[in-house]
Amino acid sequence: MTQWKGYGRNPDVSWRTIEGQAVLVFNREGEIQVLNEVGTYVWEHIGEAPEVMARDIALEYDISEKEALKDVMSFLDGLKGSGAILLEDE
Amino acid sequence: MDTPLSSLFGRAIAKAHPLYASMELTYACNLACRFCYNPVQRKNQPRTTPPPKPARQPLAFGEITSVLDQLREMGVLYLTLTGGEPLLHPRFWDIAGEAKARSFALRIFTNGAGLRETDVDRLAELAPYCLEMSLHGATAATAEALTQVKGSFDRQVRALGWMRDRGLRVYLKVVVTRLVEDELEAIRAIGDRFDFPVYFDPILTPSDDGQAYPLALRASDEAIRRLYDASGLNIGNSPFEREPGQYNCSVGTGTLHVTPHGDVQPCVQWKQAIGNVRERSIRSMWEESALLQEVRAISRKVPGVIAATVKEHAYCFSCPGLSRLRTGDPLRPDEQVLRLARIRHEVAEDESHSPKTSK
Repeated sequence: MTQWKGYGRNPDVSWRTIEGQAVLVFNREGEIQVLNEVGTYVWEHIGEAPEVMARDIALEYDISEKEALKDVMSFLDGLKGSGAILLEDE
Repeated sequence: MDTPLSSLFGRAIAKAHPLYASMELTYACNLACRFCYNPVQRKNQPRTTPPPKPARQPLAFGEITSVLDQLREMGVLYLTLTGGEPLLHPRFWDIAGEAKARSFALRIFTNGAGLRETDVDRLAELAPYCLEMSLHGATAATAEALTQVKGSFDRQVRALGWMRDRGLRVYLKVVVTRLVEDELEAIRAIGDRFDFPVYFDPILTPSDDGQAYPLALRASDEAIRRLYDASGLNIGNSPFEREPGQYNCSVGTGTLHVTPHGDVQPCVQWKQAIGNVRERSIRSMWEESALLQEVRAISRKVPGVIAATVKEHAYCFSCPGLSRLRTGDPLRPDEQVLRLARIRHEVAEDESHSPKTSK
């Protein structure tokens, strides 16, 4: 299981939040990804502990922290898989 | 086709969220292309008046990074570094690095003719979103008749190889002039050889100060026809889909342009400053400029004016900045645009009646 400490955005991925949605531009691959509202929240808080993000999301969307944490971890894994975020030792 | 991204960008631009910005870092250039709109430091241009002298000093490095900060804060995602030849700016690499650090998706316009292999290594390390490079011929004789610099063609082609080897994304651009019109297919073959797409642009622009000399190089009707014809280069000839009242383009709503001296324009082609970065913030210009409000209103009017006044309106895209420079009226399409619409319409009509495509 990934330990989400000392991780951050890949500097080769440009991004802005546009109309409440994060738009990620993968410069090396030439691909673009648009995140939904929750994904945008996570992206804007990259670097923070997933538990903290999950707590805020649970409050905002009226779901359990456990469920929110599962979603956040899964989303972070996806971002790692796409190369949007890097772990410290990468 | 509408995608989630285009839909999002459309909504943003409708609310005047600037997504795109371009910065001319310098007017200096190592080439002297005969059709170039940049009126500074050109040679052999049949001008009727001397080139204008800039009233201000170029922006200093700290002023440029302040512009980058402001553009980031305003939400600009795509930033084009252009010129002149932007790599001739003495601090190009610092500027590009600062832009990358601010998470812009960078487009870099370069002619490639001055690049050394180590420069291409640095570009690969920088990882811009793309490079855009103009190629003015498929042979040195043609290309250098336009660039007016001996050896530039071979240096450009050599740079293309370095770029391909490093996996850089490169778009080749061809300004379709009468000098190059017989080599368009061969230029596309060069693109194919390096696996880079080639974009052809048949519209020539007058110089920034309104001189018409570049237009004397315009291509023949036949060459333009060949661009759009299915049996020619077939670059795409779909009619425009738009409604009166829609914005014509993103001028003043999704894009802005900064000159080397800090003037901010609605776009690269609309040559009026809405202010200078040394005098006020870009955000205040963007939100309060009366001129920009006027430009936005004009952009909304253009599709309706075209629909009402141009017979081949479905094939007519009019740039209000170019119209303003050419006719004095941003709503009145330039004659080049009308000619292009006529030819594209003819191609579409011919193909709809051809045995291959008729139903």
